[in-house]
Amino acid sequence: MELLVAAVIGAMTAGGIYLLLRLRTFPVILGISLLTYAVNVFLFTSGRLTVGAPPVLRDTLEVYADPLPQALVLTAIVISFGMTAVVVMIALGAFLGSDDDHIDDDPHEHDSHPVEEQP
Amino acid sequence: MTHWLIAPIILPALLAPFIVLAARYHITIQRAFSLAGVVAQVVIAAALAWNVSDGSVLLYQLGDWAAPFGIVLVGDQLSTLMVLLTSVLSLFVLLYAIGSGCDNMGKHFHPLFQFQLMGILGAFLTGDLFNLFVFFEVLLIASYGMMIHSGGNARLQAGVQYVLFNLIGSTLFLFALGAIYAEAGTLNMADLAQRVTLIGPEETVGIRIAAVLLLLVFAIKAAVVPLHFWLPSSYAEAPGPVAALFAIMTKIGAYAIIRVYTMVFPPDLEVTAGLHGQWLLPAALVSLAIGMVGVLAARRLDRLITYSVIGSMGMVMVSIALFTPEGVAAALYYIIHSTLAAALLFLIVDMVRNARGSVELTEQPAMAGTALVSGMFFVGAIAMAGLPPLSGFLGKLLVLDAGFDTDQVAWIWATVLISSLISILGFARAGSIVFWKAHSIEPPEVAPEHAPPGVLSAVAAGGLVTLLIAHTVFAGQVHGYTTRMAATLFAPDAYIATVIGTPGKLSTPKEEEEK
Amino acid sequence: MSLFIIVALPFLGALLPGLMYTAGRAACAGVTFTVTLAAFLGLLTNLPAVLAGDVLMARVDWMPELGLNLTLMLDGLGFFFALLILGIGLLIIAYARNYLSRDDHMGEFFTYLLLFQGAMVGIVLSDNILLLLVFWELTSLSSFLLIGFWKHLPEGRQGARMALTVTGMGGLAMIGGMLILGQIAGSYDLSVILQNRELIQESPLYLPALILILLGCFTKSAQFPFHFWLPHAMAAPTPVSAYLHSATMVKAGIFLMARMWPVLSGTPEWFAIVTTAGLVTMVLAAVIALFKHDLKALLAFSTVSHLGLITMLLGTGTPFGAMAAMFHILNHATFKAALFMSAGIIDHEAHTRDIRRLGGLRTLMPITFIIATLASLSMAGIPFLNGFLSKEMMLEEATHTTLFGMPMLVPILATVGSLFSAAYCFRLIGHTFLGPVRDDYPATPHDPPAGLWLPPALLMIPVVVIGVAPFVAEPFVKLVTASVLGNAGEVPTAYFKIWHGLVPALFMSIIAGVGGLLLLGAFKPLLKVWETTPRPEAKVIFEALIDAVASAARWAILGLHNGAFTRYAVIGVATIVVAGGYAWSTGTVAPPTRELQAVGPVHIGGGLMLMAAVAGLVLLHRNRLLSLVLIGIVGLMVSIGFVLLSAPDLAMTQFTVEVVTIILLLLALNFLPKRTPVESTVLRRIRDGGVAVAGGLAAFVMAYHYMLRDAVSAPISEFHLANSYKGGGGTNVVNVILVDFRGFDTYGEIIVLGIAALLIYALTETLLSGPVRARLLNRKLDQARAGDVHPMMMVVLTRVLLPVVLLVGFYIFLRGHNEPGGGFISGLVVSIGVVMQYMASGFAWTSARLRYPYHGVIGAGVLIAGFTGIGSWFVSKPFLTSDFTYVRIPPFNEFELATAALFDLGVFLAVVGAVMLSLESFSRLARRAHVDDSEHPMDIDPSREAQTEGAA
Repeated sequence: MELLVAAVIGAMTAGGIYLLLRLRTFPVILGISLLTYAVNVFLFTSGRLTVGAPPVLRDTLEVYADPLPQALVLTAIVISFGMTAVVVMIALGAFLGSDDDHIDDDPHEHDSHPVEEQP
Repeated sequence: MTHWLIAPIILPALLAPFIVLAARYHITIQRAFSLAGVVAQVVIAAALAWNVSDGSVLLYQLGDWAAPFGIVLVGDQLSTLMVLLTSVLSLFVLLYAIGSGCDNMGKHFHPLFQFQLMGILGAFLTGDLFNLFVFFEVLLIASYGMMIHSGGNARLQAGVQYVLFNLIGSTLFLFALGAIYAEAGTLNMADLAQRVTLIGPEETVGIRIAAVLLLLVFAIKAAVVPLHFWLPSSYAEAPGPVAALFAIMTKIGAYAIIRVYTMVFPPDLEVTAGLHGQWLLPAALVSLAIGMVGVLAARRLDRLITYSVIGSMGMVMVSIALFTPEGVAAALYYIIHSTLAAALLFLIVDMVRNARGSVELTEQPAMAGTALVSGMFFVGAIAMAGLPPLSGFLGKLLVLDAGFDTDQVAWIWATVLISSLISILGFARAGSIVFWKAHSIEPPEVAPEHAPPGVLSAVAAGGLVTLLIAHTVFAGQVHGYTTRMAATLFAPDAYIATVIGTPGKLSTPKEEEEK
Repeated sequence: MSLFIIVALPFLGALLPGLMYTAGRAACAGVTFTVTLAAFLGLLTNLPAVLAGDVLMARVDWMPELGLNLTLMLDGLGFFFALLILGIGLLIIAYARNYLSRDDHMGEFFTYLLLFQGAMVGIVLSDNILLLLVFWELTSLSSFLLIGFWKHLPEGRQGARMALTVTGMGGLAMIGGMLILGQIAGSYDLSVILQNRELIQESPLYLPALILILLGCFTKSAQFPFHFWLPHAMAAPTPVSAYLHSATMVKAGIFLMARMWPVLSGTPEWFAIVTTAGLVTMVLAAVIALFKHDLKALLAFSTVSHLGLITMLLGTGTPFGAMAAMFHILNHATFKAALFMSAGIIDHEAHTRDIRRLGGLRTLMPITFIIATLASLSMAGIPFLNGFLSKEMMLEEATHTTLFGMPMLVPILATVGSLFSAAYCFRLIGHTFLGPVRDDYPATPHDPPAGLWLPPALLMIPVVVIGVAPFVAEPFVKLVTASVLGNAGEVPTAYFKIWHGLVPALFMSIIAGVGGLLLLGAFKPLLKVWETTPRPEAKVIFEALIDAVASAARWAILGLHNGAFTRYAVIGVATIVVAGGYAWSTGTVAPPTRELQAVGPVHIGGGLMLMAAVAGLVLLHRNRLLSLVLIGIVGLMVSIGFVLLSAPDLAMTQFTVEVVTIILLLLALNFLPKRTPVESTVLRRIRDGGVAVAGGLAAFVMAYHYMLRDAVSAPISEFHLANSYKGGGGTNVVNVILVDFRGFDTYGEIIVLGIAALLIYALTETLLSGPVRARLLNRKLDQARAGDVHPMMMVVLTRVLLPVVLLVGFYIFLRGHNEPGGGFISGLVVSIGVVMQYMASGFAWTSARLRYPYHGVIGAGVLIAGFTGIGSWFVSKPFLTSDFTYVRIPPFNEFELATAALFDLGVFLAVVGAVMLSLESFSRLARRAHVDDSEHPMDIDPSREAQTEGAA
């Protein structure tokens, strides 16, 4: 089981990194979310693996899965959801503004800085 | 039971949603509340710093759960100092944002500003690593909002990169946390500090990886080369006041490194020997060099300042990477200086941008209010380039002095001195182009509509100048304080005892013995 | 007067002219003069003590830990220099008041001047070498401002930057030298350092310290090869040149050499370096000076030459040399300042400084002629003027000096130097004042008002008096020499007199004088030779160097930071992997402590499917819609995995979040291109693949390593399991941790969600109010639309489902504390329910039926959570302390009331609000883009009938 889970983590990390290195925002965002899955599972495994013993107190059960990592992962999932939403939105904004979803941009292209005029 | 220690976090956390709910459409009310909140912050922070100045440690157990089972906030000299620095900085930044009307160019500036404060202050106060992660996320997502405030293509483009790079950082942070929990079974820093001592020499890879990954996370925050790439574009494109507030953000990385690598993984810990001490110093030296060379290379004033920020962070990290009390004391003195100087310069860049229409380093007609702006730029440049009489020079002396007894003294001195010469070149060039060359150019017939800095903006920048001067005049006192602080950081017994020893809900004496 | 006041006066006074300039030029100059005069008199009050030979000290701690303290010291040497600085300062101020034109901002000028003056006084009075460094760099800065005072002149700007660069470099080198010196001596106080000659000269660090300090001195005093900045600094207004570049700043380096004399001098290294530098500078500059046509340039090089002379004297390391040096400093300051001022007068009146355009001024400006001639002759070393005496001493010393084992080397070079020196002095007189009166001056010259000629005239008094009666200067010079040498015993007894008998020095002087005349006679042919001989132009070299550095920097830095995120990411990831690998490879590994757990075919199948999905994602990511489906599968498999590994809460959260994320991405994809084109080269993809595989491997190894080993001691979660029911009142430990043990994390997390929503909303607003709006409005849909936007079945189904969904959400929320579920999950479930309405019935229809603005919902959620936390303050418990009780309301069973539930309610609201606000913002963009939905016939929209009727 451990081997399998570790392999899954590795696969998702590798895939995530590869997509992260693409040139357009969309695949990069997918890569980030793939990485997020990977790290969530990894964080989850830091409580070691337990089968069939959810951390819900029962009089019959003696051993439970480690609840703390689960709580941490839950937090992480929700936070990363927020982050994903934000990055998607910003990327969308950048694309709509320039009709270009390349992730690289040359800082010296748009040299003249937009001057915000008072509203 | 006093709640002052959590006030710096709760105050903005409640103020922000309140502003969203009640004052979403009234900029004036928003400004009033935001400003009042920040002023209160300053007062509270000052009180906290005063409280612990005698070396005592304040503890706040959230949910009344004892550490390490619950989350605790810890106020010691270091964290309260950083809280005070942040609050004071934010006050002037907010003044400037209001004065320049920048806060009214997009939605939700003030709520985001408050949330940003909450994140930063939380990061300084928390004693729990995962909670630190949460606060990192809070301050990051708020900073995304601030950075792209009022839009613009260049800004959004830079924003995408900024967010994505930090997402890599957050992912790495989670990996590190997983490693730490798997290895030590705890998340509380003080508890971790005790548990790592239990790790035997027969198996060290686990904790070593954890230590290194964590260091890398903080190095990204501190913009240490080669993990600094997120900084130049995002700081340069961010609105002036926002960039000024960001001046504190790199310091969070420095703070975290000081905290964790003096208490949890001290330099004399065998199992993690030869990890950070060995690699951080070269990286820091390179950062210093790259930053200061960037000052000379920059084609735009805002980029120039961002590079100088990287350089001054390099300086801080050089001093930290010595991992000696002298080094940390010098670093802390320099952190205060570099935060104020960077913020001042970013505000000045914004003034130039508004008064001149562009921050290009090219000849352009004289701008409105040159005398004032150029004067302030001169002061800021002196401070940042580390010339006397301002605190930058004293900080430089401190770092050089701290580095004298090390084996790498030649490297440190050469890099520090040469890089500061290069930065002097860069600043002199930029200043003479922007402020002096303008006099040799005929103003155009139709002068473009550019406003000189308003009174409030000038006051804000002037306030920062005053702080810099004060930091210089009272250098002895400040450095004395940081020296005492550094001593306690390398002997964190009081901290650990307070955090672990204090009982909470349902914690029996027996459990305390175990911990 | 206290030394502190003497040093502080100019600095404090520097504020006044800036403030006074509205009061007029006279007021500006007046206040500056008064301030300087006050300092000057204050200094004089200490004269008796100094003459008595005692050393005045004043001390205030500044940074004791570092050893940088405000310690001042006044001895003969310091007094001598302070006297020069303030005394000549007074004359310069008077002169400048008449020199500057109406367009010049006098307040600014005098502010800078006073800053400089204060810094100079600080240098000569500081006892702490770090403090001295502070003042040292301050002179560089203030002179930067003074040289660049005429901002419109490019020469001014370049000269200022050049001066700052060169002297700044020296200053930085000196920081190093001083720190080393202090580290050797164990103190940064001169009074201590000067007592430790042996300790310092025997230290292995003596040579580096010496070289670094000398770098500082040579750059400041324009010694070869750093001499080139001084002539270019002449772009400054003449008062500045007269003050900084003749009398004071350029003497700072020499002062420091004199100051450090007791500990640094007397070693072979010192002798070799200093004497050579001085000698070369003296001769070279004298030769160049002869051929300069600009009066100020000529004077500038002559200054360089004389500085070289003084340096050479100090280099010899003998008491006599030191005495000669001190004497010459005094004399040079007097005649050179006067000469600069005369040059300024000529420039001011004749509107040119070019010797070739002058001549015959003798009759036109007699006063100036007398002053300039006296000064020049003194500089030339003509008897009965003070220059003669010190030059005699120099030649005398030269005859006793053997450099590199060649006894004749120094005397010959010295003679050559003074020969050329005499020549340019004669040229100055001859070509400017003598000769026929011309009629082509740019302006008809005449003597200036007294304000301009009086200051130089006053300087002629010492020139003549000392020249005629050397003995008047003798005691003072010897006093100064004593404090240079560090003990009065070594001061040479030689008397100051004009006639020493037929000593070699006399013949050398005669050679110099006569030779000078001859050279002048042969000037024209010599000039031709000079102009034809190629020679390196220092300025060109310097500029080239700087430009090279700058462009190199640009190439490196801007090339490195080229905005390519992919590169940044590769570097970042690689760094992380390498660092991790290093940590791993340097650590030790012990055998596992845990058994591998059994794995069933289902698990394997699931795992393989997941990996397959990942592989597919990587291979097919160019088809964006497909890649969304695939990532959905990945997420689904992950949540199933959580179920298998006994994490029901995680599974539910993962699943619901997955749904929302996909919807969100779909909304975004609606605008983005549907395919990712092939852009990166194969090589690149291989590189990326390599990095990716390495990263994946690292993650795999880590995970596997940790999973098979136990934590070093029992994880803290045991406490949570043990006390979840007792202390948290819930049996679902995960939920109890979320809302109680680590409720603060959750609090921060809902705030993150809230911020995300605000941010997205704000950005949408900005976009819709900007140019993007127009883009969206005339945007062509890049895909065929579905036949009916709102299929009847779907509409009905979703509307029937909504109450059910809400019920489920409510149930999940309630059971959360004891069974899998809770605020997040129910929040997400409910929002999905609402989102279904949007999707089915359209945006307008749904939002028309929404009573609560999402902003409010988020705010309320965060506030509820916050106030729940604060609630516990009233029972004087910390933030977020939970409490719970069991109540029984018939006919229900006993159930639990927990404050944690209230907190969870906040979480619920925040989640719903955040999710909905984000999705709403996205769809608002869509609506701008004419994805118009309310007009469609299949839309069940009561308001539509109303509209049509109204239309009919």
